[in-house]
Amino acid sequence: MNAPFLDVCNLTLQYKTAGHLVTATYDVSFQAHESERLILLGPSGCGKSTILKAIGGYISPARGKIRLRGKEVTKPGADRGMVFQEFDQLLPWKSALENIVFAICETRPVPRSQAKDEAWELLRKVNLTSFANSYPHELSGGMKQRVAIARCLGLRSEIILMDEPFASLDALTRQKMQEELLNLWADTRCTLVFVTHSIDEAIILGSRIVLLSPHPGQVVAELNGVIAHLDEEKNAELAGLRARIARILFKDQCDYTI
Amino acid sequence: MTSPADAEAQISLTALRQEYERRVNAPELTQDVAVRLSLRERIWNITVVRKTTILIFMALCWQIYALNLQNELMLPSFTGTVTALLESMGNGELPRAIGTSLRVLAIAYASGVVVAGLITSLALSSRIGADFLETCTGMFNLLPAIALLPLALLWFGIGYASIIFVIIHSVTWPMTLNIYSGFTGVSKTLRMVGQNYELSAPAFICKLLIPAALPHILTGLKVGWAFSWRTLIASELVFGVSSGSGGIGWFIYEKKNQLEIATVFAALITLIIIGVLVENIVFKLIENKTVRKWGMSI
Ligand SMILES: Nc1ncnc2c1ncn2[C@@H]1O[C@H](COP(=O)(O)OP(=O)(O)O)[C@@H](O)[C@H]1O
Ligand SMILES: [Mg+2]
Repeated sequence: MNAPFLDVCNLTLQYKTAGHLVTATYDVSFQAHESERLILLGPSGCGKSTILKAIGGYISPARGKIRLRGKEVTKPGADRGMVFQEFDQLLPWKSALENIVFAICETRPVPRSQAKDEAWELLRKVNLTSFANSYPHELSGGMKQRVAIARCLGLRSEIILMDEPFASLDALTRQKMQEELLNLWADTRCTLVFVTHSIDEAIILGSRIVLLSPHPGQVVAELNGVIAHLDEEKNAELAGLRARIARILFKDQCDYTI
Repeated sequence: MTSPADAEAQISLTALRQEYERRVNAPELTQDVAVRLSLRERIWNITVVRKTTILIFMALCWQIYALNLQNELMLPSFTGTVTALLESMGNGELPRAIGTSLRVLAIAYASGVVVAGLITSLALSSRIGADFLETCTGMFNLLPAIALLPLALLWFGIGYASIIFVIIHSVTWPMTLNIYSGFTGVSKTLRMVGQNYELSAPAFICKLLIPAALPHILTGLKVGWAFSWRTLIASELVFGVSSGSGGIGWFIYEKKNQLEIATVFAALITLIIIGVLVENIVFKLIENKTVRKWGMSI
């Protein structure tokens, strides 16, 4: 086996506030291989977003190292496309299409006309061509996140980082988006690091699941995903995985609400 | 857990009520989805029509009262004012005054914008700069520009240099405050998006920070305009410029001394018209084309 694609090694992340040094994650290590869908799963406030921002290069580690293809991550870059949790990540002064064109033009040496064609193609992939000329404030939350995903794909990053992109969507939309994301992955086979606090989402999307303890986040387990299927046998397997994750995450707390 | 008794109660409850499913007609078929309003209602729904009606009503009241009063020196009639307006427009006196005032205003306003921009960039690049900005805006925002006029006269002499100095003071601080809060308020997420694309510093400022801060920048420009316009007229009123070619403030002062009160009224109406043109047409248009269209208005 060659060197891992993404190597997160003994990562400790801290925030300096006015009076305190808050440790968000402690000694976290995991690796992602190429074309893997790695899920970071843990309760709210355990430092998932912080880890993702560190991989993105927006926060520098207090201790430990992050390496992408053997190269240490020190600053943000277009090789790590990021989809944020927030709805305000689209540039409000640009239409859906223009948001994608901007991302392409600023990060790759592509003429504008070609960038436009690519942006159309990406909008088609996320089923939003009829909203190409709408401004972000005219889109629903789910549509905004889809544009953000399309925009991120436009960067042609080596790895895609997603921070609970579906967390604030209604259940129906979320389910649809999860299916679409799996389809997109099947198309591109990109490497994906996906943050969620929902066990179900982790099971549906993940090929590898990293479980984090409550604040300060530490890795408590790494599990393999189960390929979702409709037949009974797999259902049992899924239920088993779900029960196992719940048991690991909440050894003594009984109910976990998402 | 539901007990058998509960279940029975539930059954007896639902058994009384019919279930149903139904198809609804396509919207085109149900005729009353959008019924056209009557012509009168549609005209009355136009804001301009309603506001014009109010203006006509006010002019009528004015005219009737003035005719009853019969005192041209205290309150000229509406028609007298309109005549005076046309006359002073026609003989070029008022347009000249407007031209002078606007030229001074343009110079002072542009300088104010530049100064505000400089202070803002200073404040954004260092913490001590930010402290400087906060201290200065905190103090000088509260100092009415007109109060500086005597000092300005002492420093720059009687002339437009003094007025320009006073206007720059009146414009700079509120503008700086707005522009600065616009830049510091740009969301963390948008900044991270810019970093994700590895934008260079100039591109980051021009393509991300400025458009993201545009609502506040526009507010700053608007507030600056309002302050500078009022300060200009006030300082022109306080002292005219030595010889004949004064601005509108001076025009009003002079006409009052010559007891041409209808012309004074005409000049006041001109002030209102210019203010409305800039605030409700120029700035509104810019806003409609930008922040309103983008859903960013504050
Ligand atoms: N900007 C910040 N300043 C100080 N503490 C922070 C900041 N952001 C997050 N934290 C703290 O770090 C911990 C992890 O936060 P976060 O990574 O956002 O959690 P998650 O995404 O898993 O919900 C939380 O306890 C939070 O209080
Ligand atoms: Mg989070």
